[in-house]
Amino acid sequence: MTDHVPTGPEPTGPGASETEDGDAGLALERTSLSWTRTAIAFAALGGVMLKDNVITGLLILAVVPLIWRLGRPPRSGSPPSGLPTVGATRIRVTTISIVGVALLSLVIAVLGPSVPGALHR
Amino acid sequence: MSRSGRFAAWWPRSAEDLEEGHEPDPRFTFANERTFLAWSRTALALVVAGLGIVQLLPPFPGVPIGRHLLGVPLIVLGAVLAIVAYGEWVRNQRALRRGDPLPRSVVPWILAAAIAGMAIISAIVLLISALR
Repeated sequence: MTDHVPTGPEPTGPGASETEDGDAGLALERTSLSWTRTAIAFAALGGVMLKDNVITGLLILAVVPLIWRLGRPPRSGSPPSGLPTVGATRIRVTTISIVGVALLSLVIAVLGPSVPGALHR
Repeated sequence: MSRSGRFAAWWPRSAEDLEEGHEPDPRFTFANERTFLAWSRTALALVVAGLGIVQLLPPFPGVPIGRHLLGVPLIVLGAVLAIVAYGEWVRNQRALRRGDPLPRSVVPWILAAAIAGMAIISAIVLLISALR
């Protein structure tokens, strides 16, 4: 894994409980923010796509609320239970969304009209 | 390991398949999820880059399919990366639940090889284009 994973024994000593890795609540918040960034990435792609193909762009933009909703932390303050099952579902949905978006992009790239030199204007 | 066995290791057969073992520390589960999300954003960036190359770049003189040669593999790589990242998440989650060592990730290797390949293709297209 590329993300920071705490390893070894828990930190001890003064202020140890204040370290962000010692708090599962902060880990949840970081993960929630990561979901938000992913939703923003989808929105950016949808916006770019709107320029080429309105319907495809709107389709991708429709995925944004879904991704954003998937990343919301549970309403209860208790530690999340059943994470693997819930996580598997939302991660599968995200994967399917990205593959779908890539296939749509492929169709547009191969068959759609292009605007050559648009970057030079 | 057989090919089907390797696929099974990457794709959970059922929800129960990911409930084997014991519940790991939530921080590890969240870190695994964030890693998956980071790879997902990389996949989306590749798709945007590929689409931008095909749709927005001016044509390369002398290489009529130059833009597609550069853009289409990036879009395909984005789709592949998303699927492989999912497989990695499954393998890591399973290892966490079983208390096994985390498996070695293949995603950086795939990305590095693909970027190197794209750099070579880009250089060739640009060279041909410059010589015309």
